[in-house]
Order: sequence, then structure tokens, then C-alpha cells
Amino acid sequence: VTQQTRDIRTYRVGDALPAVTKVLTQEKIDRYADASGDHNPLHIDPAFAATTQFGGTIAHGMLVLAYISEVMGAGFGRSWAESGSLKVRFRGAARPGDTVTASGRVVRMEDESAVCEVECRNGRGEVLISGEASVRVS
Amino acid sequence: MTVSLADLPMGHEFEATRLKLSPEWVREYAAAVEDGVTMPDVPPLALTTLSFRALLDQMALPEGTIHVGQELSFSGWGEQPRTLVAAARIASRGERQGWVLMGLEMTIDDESGTPMMSGRATITFPTTGRSREPRA
Repeated sequence: VTQQTRDIRTYRVGDALPAVTKVLTQEKIDRYADASGDHNPLHIDPAFAATTQFGGTIAHGMLVLAYISEVMGAGFGRSWAESGSLKVRFRGAARPGDTVTASGRVVRMEDESAVCEVECRNGRGEVLISGEASVRVS
Repeated sequence: MTVSLADLPMGHEFEATRLKLSPEWVREYAAAVEDGVTMPDVPPLALTTLSFRALLDQMALPEGTIHVGQELSFSGWGEQPRTLVAAARIASRGERQGWVLMGLEMTIDDESGTPMMSGRATITFPTTGRSREPRA
């Protein structure tokens, strides 16, 4: 279990946030489909997904984005839920069997907020999601 | 029959929906995303997922829809149980090279109208995309 343990006022530019790593499976994607109500066949139907440019099922973007939210929650705790914001692009597909690592790093402080570069990569180092997230730290 | 998102124009406003943020659903969500952070009662992205879920009650996504971008701001704190009001509109829509690019703006407020989350999702789907009927 990852929990926020650091005083968020101590973050400085360059500091890394606690990274999280997950192994995606089709079962996990199916579970997210049920929780979210998003049963897009691209995520849950291997036969349909095989006919797309992806050649197989891929995870929901919001499932993978949740890993970045977990990083921000681990780093900033309640402040993330109370004052967080993010802007990301989904750059690559996460597939069953992928090991996905979400990470973040403080890149600047502005308006009493820590602005972090955030990203998810698969085990081959390919970027799946990238962008910025910010949270009030004062 | 559920309308396909592919058939909706820019400016379309989805009906505001009252949502119950039940402890059971929050547990289901947290298990699905393997959220190990125990500090917040409700993972903030759960609010976003719940608002998408409310949208999916009003329309069907075309097959092959891809999520290409997401902006979010959180300003509330989700304690359980709680009733929320989700609203959404199609903020932009364009077509290029056989694909529709669409921006969806979403908000979630609490019952008193206090904003808890706002965001914008950018999605794309083939102009030929058909929607499947939602699963029972």
C-alpha cells in the first residue's frame, strides 16, 4: 500500500514522486470495463480489436490515467483530491501483459502549486501517457 | 434505443444526471484500478469515471473510439455516501481523414451546486463508426 507520508510543503523542483508499477491483464481491463460501464469492444473483444490498427485489445485510457492519479495521491495526499489538476495526452496503447510504470517529478513551483511532469511507460520504455499535473502545496 | 455519440452535433448538452457515489461502487472502482492510496476516501479519478458512466447511460460510443487527451481539475472532496450531479456537453467536433475528433466538457457538482470536478475529454472515432447496443 502506497500512502502519502511526506510533508507536501517540502517538495522542491527536481523531486521525484513515488512511482507505481502495475501489470496489465485482460482480466483487469474487463474489471475496469464493468466498473466504468465502458464496454467498447476495442477494450474487451479480442476478435473485434484484432481488426483495428492496434491488432488486439488495449486498456482504457482512464484506467492507465488512474495510475498517474495514484502517483499524485501518494505524493500529495488529500491536496490532490482537493486542488489537483492535470492535462495529459494518451500517446500509446497499453496492452494486456504490459508492465506499466507511472511516475512524476516536480518541474516548477508557481502560484503556490507544485507543477509536475507525469507519464506512464510500458516495459519497453514507450510513453503511453504524458503531461502535467499540478497541486496546491501551501 | 440508445443514440450513438457519432450522431450528436457540437453543442449537444447531455441531460444532467444525479449520481450516487456508493461505497460499493467506489470499492469496485478502487479494486479495478488497484489504487493503493488509502488517504482519500474516494480516488479523485473515480468522479471522472462516474461522469463517463453517466454519459454512457445516455449514448453509445462508436466502435473503435479512442481517448486521446484529458484535462481535469478537482475542487471537492468525495466522502461516502454522496449524491452528485454530472453534466456534459459536446464542446467541439471536427472531421479529418476519416476520423471524428470530439471534445466533451464535463462537470460534477455536489447536491448544493458546489463544483467538485471539471474536465474535458478529447476522443476520436472513425466516421464510419457504428455503436453497439449497451450490454444488459
